[in-house]
Amino acid sequence: MLPATVLLVAVLAYPLLYTVQISLSEFDLATFAPADWTGLDNYTAALANESFQNSLVVTAVYLVLALPLQIVLGFGIAYLMNAEWRGRGVVRALFLIPMVVAPVVSGGIWKMILDPLWGGVSWFLGLFGLPPIDWFGDATMSMISIVLIDTWRSVPFVALIASAALLSLPSDLFEAAKVDGANWWQTMRSVSLPLLAPIIAATFVVRWLGAVKMFDVILATTNGGPGEATNVVNLFIYQQAFRLLKFSESSAMAVIVLVITMILTFVFLSVSKKLEDRL
Amino acid sequence: MSTLTEARRDVVPIPETPSPARRRRADRRRPGERARIWSGAIVCALFLLPLLWMLLTSFKQQRDIFTVPPTIFFDPTLAQYIDAFSRGDLGPKLVNTVIVALGAGLVSLVAGAMAGYALSRLNIRGAGVIGALILASRGVPPIALAVPMFLVARTLGIMDTHITLILAYCSFVIPYVMWLTRGFFLALPKELEEAAMLDGCSKMGAFFRIIVPISAPGLISTFIFSVILAWEELLFALVLTNRDATTVPVAIAGMAGDTETGANWGALAAAGMVTVIPVVILALVVQKWLIRGLADGAMKG
Repeated sequence: MLPATVLLVAVLAYPLLYTVQISLSEFDLATFAPADWTGLDNYTAALANESFQNSLVVTAVYLVLALPLQIVLGFGIAYLMNAEWRGRGVVRALFLIPMVVAPVVSGGIWKMILDPLWGGVSWFLGLFGLPPIDWFGDATMSMISIVLIDTWRSVPFVALIASAALLSLPSDLFEAAKVDGANWWQTMRSVSLPLLAPIIAATFVVRWLGAVKMFDVILATTNGGPGEATNVVNLFIYQQAFRLLKFSESSAMAVIVLVITMILTFVFLSVSKKLEDRL
Repeated sequence: MSTLTEARRDVVPIPETPSPARRRRADRRRPGERARIWSGAIVCALFLLPLLWMLLTSFKQQRDIFTVPPTIFFDPTLAQYIDAFSRGDLGPKLVNTVIVALGAGLVSLVAGAMAGYALSRLNIRGAGVIGALILASRGVPPIALAVPMFLVARTLGIMDTHITLILAYCSFVIPYVMWLTRGFFLALPKELEEAAMLDGCSKMGAFFRIIVPISAPGLISTFIFSVILAWEELLFALVLTNRDATTVPVAIAGMAGDTETGANWGALAAAGMVTVIPVVILALVVQKWLIRGLADGAMKG
């Protein structure tokens, strides 16, 4: 217990407290240390900062688009792959690869593929007479591109958890439903979904914890642009701190994000726990 | 011995082999099932296409990269790899990444596994609270740690060193290891250590001589997973290094972020392959545990 405690205090607890301290003081760039206490000034400044507000909204939009899409696709694909056949082990192993590709690399790959001039996707669309799409060019498309890339990375993970979950479902319930003459949709709604609900909720929490940290993919592709269209909160704070050296304001923003994340994580965890207990 | 094998079985997840009855039924497949198999295989192929694209690009000459339609048959060349290593200076960065990832994995495994054991066995008051705190720490955005880490490292004059990056990575790898190993150890019967201690082992002795060997497969895959986590980290590496200890992800971010031309594509693809291949091999080796490991982090919250 001791080594871990010491290390975690040094690299986790202490930095967090230091962040709080910086966020409550004026930062002296000459000595590179927090100087006078300023109370909550940095927080009011952060909350009034329109670009910060925008980055929160952008993050929320990305999460709202990406998470449900990934969960639905993941469980759908797991359902498809649930059939028994000899090659399934191999397919599952291969399917695992995108999720261990470093996020910054997946950003790089997709930047090549989605390139409007030379990318594979434009060429493919061209086969059907469709014009190339400027995937990173305008605000809406670049958000869609980010969600697409993130989905490519995450769906295999969701699908793998989901297929484990599907395998563990008790088959007698389905046979009972069949005997009662339930059709596919009725079985889905009254047998599968309720049984899967706790696992869907738990998967959602894992994906949420990963997705709120979104940073690498965006840095490698849009770098927050065009304009501020994909400037998620982590990237925005990073720029404030390390490009503009606004350490106090960025610390206040980081604390705000931390608090929001903690509250939402707590809410999601208790919901998923409740769903689990219901069974 | 039976308890031992039972304990082991607990660590191994997800039943894989179908029962004989099911296998027999699979021989007379209904058309619906065939469709499912095909669509599953097609989806999988679609997901692998981008990686295939990167693989092909990394072996193309500059002129073959920018052709429309994209060429599938071309004279393969190692030019992009040579370019990435010589001009892109990938070699030292790769060495840094290996050192940092292995270092962070090792430190976290030792510290995290001991703590995980403590959490699973000792009846400390507040073990539940500690568990909740560990889980909560996974929600801490790294950016909230990056600013103070940068300032402290600057003040202490330990910027741009391997050890700084290793320590920074411990902030997210240790909680992960603690959580995973706690799960492994909870699945082991308490009687194992009790018997060892009756035979004169100390508590520490029982841990190292009984528990560690039994859970070795789990610990190894936990280690591999920790290494993967550290291997692909970008933010801390970006903030805490600038030359001597820079890692490959930082280099890739630089290449991909260079928006002026697509000229860096070949080197980017080569560098990408260099990062992806070792991880894919490791992941395939431990795939069963990997899935469980990924899932466990939150499943048992």
